[in-house]
Amino acid sequence: MHSGKLLEASDLTKVFTKGQGFVRSTIEAVSRVSLSLDLAKPEIFTLAGESGSGKSTVAKLILGFEAPTSGKIWYRGRPIANLKGTKEFMKDVQPVFQNPFETFNPLKKVQSYFFETERNFAGSAQGSYPLTEKSLELVGLNFSEIKDKYPSEMSGGQLQRASIARALITNPALLIADEPVSMIDASLRMSVVNLFKTLKEEQRVSIIYITHDLATAYYISDRIAIMLRGQFVEVGSVKKVLDNPLHPYTQLLKSSVPDPDPRSRWEEDIALSDLETREYTRRGCKFAGRCPQVQKICCEGEPDYHAVDDRLVKCHLYS
Amino acid sequence: MAILEVKDLQAYYITHKYGRSTSVKAVDGVSFQVEKDEIYGIAGESGCGKSTLLKAISGLAKPPLEILAGEVTYNFDGERLDILALNDEKQRRKLRGARISLIPQGSMSVLNPVRRIRKSFEDIIRAHLDVSAEEFEEMVRKHLDALGLDWTVMHTYPHQLSGGMRQRITIALSTILKPDIVFADEPTTALDVVVQRGVVQLIRKIKEEQRSTLVLVTHDLSIHAKLCDRLAVMYAGKIVEEGEVESIFSTPRHPYTRMLLNSLPKLGDSSARSSAPGAPPSLVNPPSGCRFHPRCPHSMELCRLEVPELLEVGSGHRVACFLERRGADAQRQAVGS
Repeated sequence: MHSGKLLEASDLTKVFTKGQGFVRSTIEAVSRVSLSLDLAKPEIFTLAGESGSGKSTVAKLILGFEAPTSGKIWYRGRPIANLKGTKEFMKDVQPVFQNPFETFNPLKKVQSYFFETERNFAGSAQGSYPLTEKSLELVGLNFSEIKDKYPSEMSGGQLQRASIARALITNPALLIADEPVSMIDASLRMSVVNLFKTLKEEQRVSIIYITHDLATAYYISDRIAIMLRGQFVEVGSVKKVLDNPLHPYTQLLKSSVPDPDPRSRWEEDIALSDLETREYTRRGCKFAGRCPQVQKICCEGEPDYHAVDDRLVKCHLYS
Repeated sequence: MAILEVKDLQAYYITHKYGRSTSVKAVDGVSFQVEKDEIYGIAGESGCGKSTLLKAISGLAKPPLEILAGEVTYNFDGERLDILALNDEKQRRKLRGARISLIPQGSMSVLNPVRRIRKSFEDIIRAHLDVSAEEFEEMVRKHLDALGLDWTVMHTYPHQLSGGMRQRITIALSTILKPDIVFADEPTTALDVVVQRGVVQLIRKIKEEQRSTLVLVTHDLSIHAKLCDRLAVMYAGKIVEEGEVESIFSTPRHPYTRMLLNSLPKLGDSSARSSAPGAPPSLVNPPSGCRFHPRCPHSMELCRLEVPELLEVGSGHRVACFLERRGADAQRQAVGS
């Protein structure tokens, strides 16, 4: 069942518990999430949703930073629970974090991260670092640009590309990029996003791209999963899902992307969630409190996944 | 009528180290006017001096930031006031919150984590007005109602609220005294799209309800497109283009503005897009002449030598570029094709 899959996750659930005894409360940060990536065909898979929708938790589960409460993840057919922490796994699956200024220790030179990774994973001898130079070249940086520099001396865009270059030293098969462009200026975003596209096409790296920015997701990814309060509400090819969103939440997300055109301004008001926990603990559909097309059934039972127009939608409208 | 006039403002960060002084020329000769009841946007990449400009014009400059030259004049109902000439901190304090208000950057994390939201409201109101408990409650209730926020948030602690809600609370907090002019520094950055839209909605409501004037600083041009009436584009401490939002988006004149607009991805369009080449220059040692010339695709000899002035090229549209001065219609056409 797992052959031919790079990554397969089935029914992942992560429950966080807060407090003890009488004030104990639980939140299902990730609830029965399944996804898989093909081994033969590298792709960019986007996880999109607002903050607090559980996107980063999914990333942590896949990286093995957190253990799922239930559900399993297989990497190349082997369960991650056994693999995590092994050099082999760390070499193959690499993370890229959100804020490049927090990725690097401000008191360490940027190059030291490269040298360390190369020594540990490629076994290069002290003093010669061929892979560092090669991986920097891939992201459009030159070794002289980072040589002897501290993170504060580089721009956010440069630093984020350096952070991706560091991940590439080990020649990974899978990159997990958690909001890699949200801290970067809009004008420099494209340099990082274009880089992901090239990596997929030329280096055959699969990428799980976590973002709330649908415009860049549309631009680079193959498939997309829209997340809401721990659940996938719509999964399918990015063109299908974003050109013609079916779930009311996806429709809201899409209409909230500001298009750079002063002639079209948002006229109608939208409802916003105020307390996250209220939506997490909601029975039935998590979006019912804000949905413009809410029906009685939405507040009562949780919707199932329905296959409509080449995608999965978790909404009562399509049952 | 202009509510704010800024003339030739120069604000540098000056530091002294080992007997040498370095100056970061964050704002270098900026002039503009903000009309009453408008939303004025300031755009530009990070590190171009947008936030410094806001600090300087709201009278918050503290060492190492020093104001070397320029005038910042406010006009509150006929009462003219030069904020840089006010030496008395007490007088400035009276202005802040009541007449001028600043929504700071990263304002989701400015709320005191160990006090309920209500306390923060009390602090700001009691600092300016002497109100009874009932008056206080009525005032806040009215304000929250008008902005579409729920009264229950008053009893919560900041950690109980989502980032977007905290952001909206901070905006409500800084506008409760109905200031004449509100400065917002990156109010939507680091928020996700839905909450971002909520904040845009809120800012527009504030403008309608209170008839406040707004100055909005953000690097995100799409937000400017959604909110602003007029827009200034800053590059390396200077304004390079200014005009009505519509005309800047439909006919950008400065190569930098064009570059910014071209780098924006659009939903429903996955054709290849290039990002702006190069990086913003260091403000310690900015390039000579036009500061954009090292990144400019059309740079000429002249650009390295002289600083272009901000000149009017159409109704209310001002551009600082030599391509314009040379009656460069022909050139622009060649560039456009």
